Amino acid sequence: MATNPLLQVLEGYLQATTERQQLIVSNMANIDTPGYHARDLNFEQALQRAEGGADGMQLSPVVQEVQGLPERADGNDVNIDRESMLLSETQIQYQLGVQLVKGQFQQLLTAIKDSN
Amino acid sequence: MGLFDMMAISASALTAERQRAEVTTANLANAETTHTDSGGPYVRKEVVFSAVTGSPFRSVFNRLGRFAPQPGSVRLTEVMDDPAAPVMRYEPGNPEANGNGYVAYPAINPTEEMVDLMGSVRAYQLNASAVSASKQMIQESLDILKTS
Repeated sequence: MATNPLLQVLEGYLQATTERQQLIVSNMANIDTPGYHARDLNFEQALQRAEGGADGMQLSPVVQEVQGLPERADGNDVNIDRESMLLSETQIQYQLGVQLVKGQFQQLLTAIKDSN
Repeated sequence: MGLFDMMAISASALTAERQRAEVTTANLANAETTHTDSGGPYVRKEVVFSAVTGSPFRSVFNRLGRFAPQPGSVRLTEVMDDPAAPVMRYEPGNPEANGNGYVAYPAINPTEEMVDLMGSVRAYQLNASAVSASKQMIQESLDILKTS
């Protein structure tokens, strides 16, 4: 739908942050579920691939279980500090994406207004 | 999809944790209950949580309507009886006493229940803050409309 290529990338970025936030929230919801393993997006890898331009600037992150987290006695490995930190981090990343989108529209609006 | 699903997931956790707190407080309230409708002392209850995994079938249902819970959410699947044997106390004057003068009390440790209750309260708070984070993100995305 977006004609502006930058807007298209930003849309992908917002989608990826939303997806990641959903996984973080789901990890938080399952903090007391026995045997549950924390899941996350491989965000950095997806971002690198997008920068490399292999997928034509498309963010397509992969959902995977987080490795190397210490497991509790009930087999659950959700780390509350990690999740809370990531929750605010992703929230700010989303905010950044929204601000950039707003900036794009602002530019478009300026172009329209200055044309007459 | 997306932002509102996050709230649904957090809401499932709030429900599950509240139900857990309810069961725990029922255990605390009945720590000394020696007589129940089914006879014998009160039996300590325990909750079982399980994660909702996203099967393709379920996600199709999700798209059609809200028939199935959101994948990634949590739900209370079972309230189990604790198999621990009741604690026998020697109280010959008690009308509930058996032939030897012993009364069966539920095997409930109030300290354990209090710790469990604190755990569910903290988990509830955590998920409530996740809800406000989701809410703020939705508010921010609405801000895109306010450009000018």
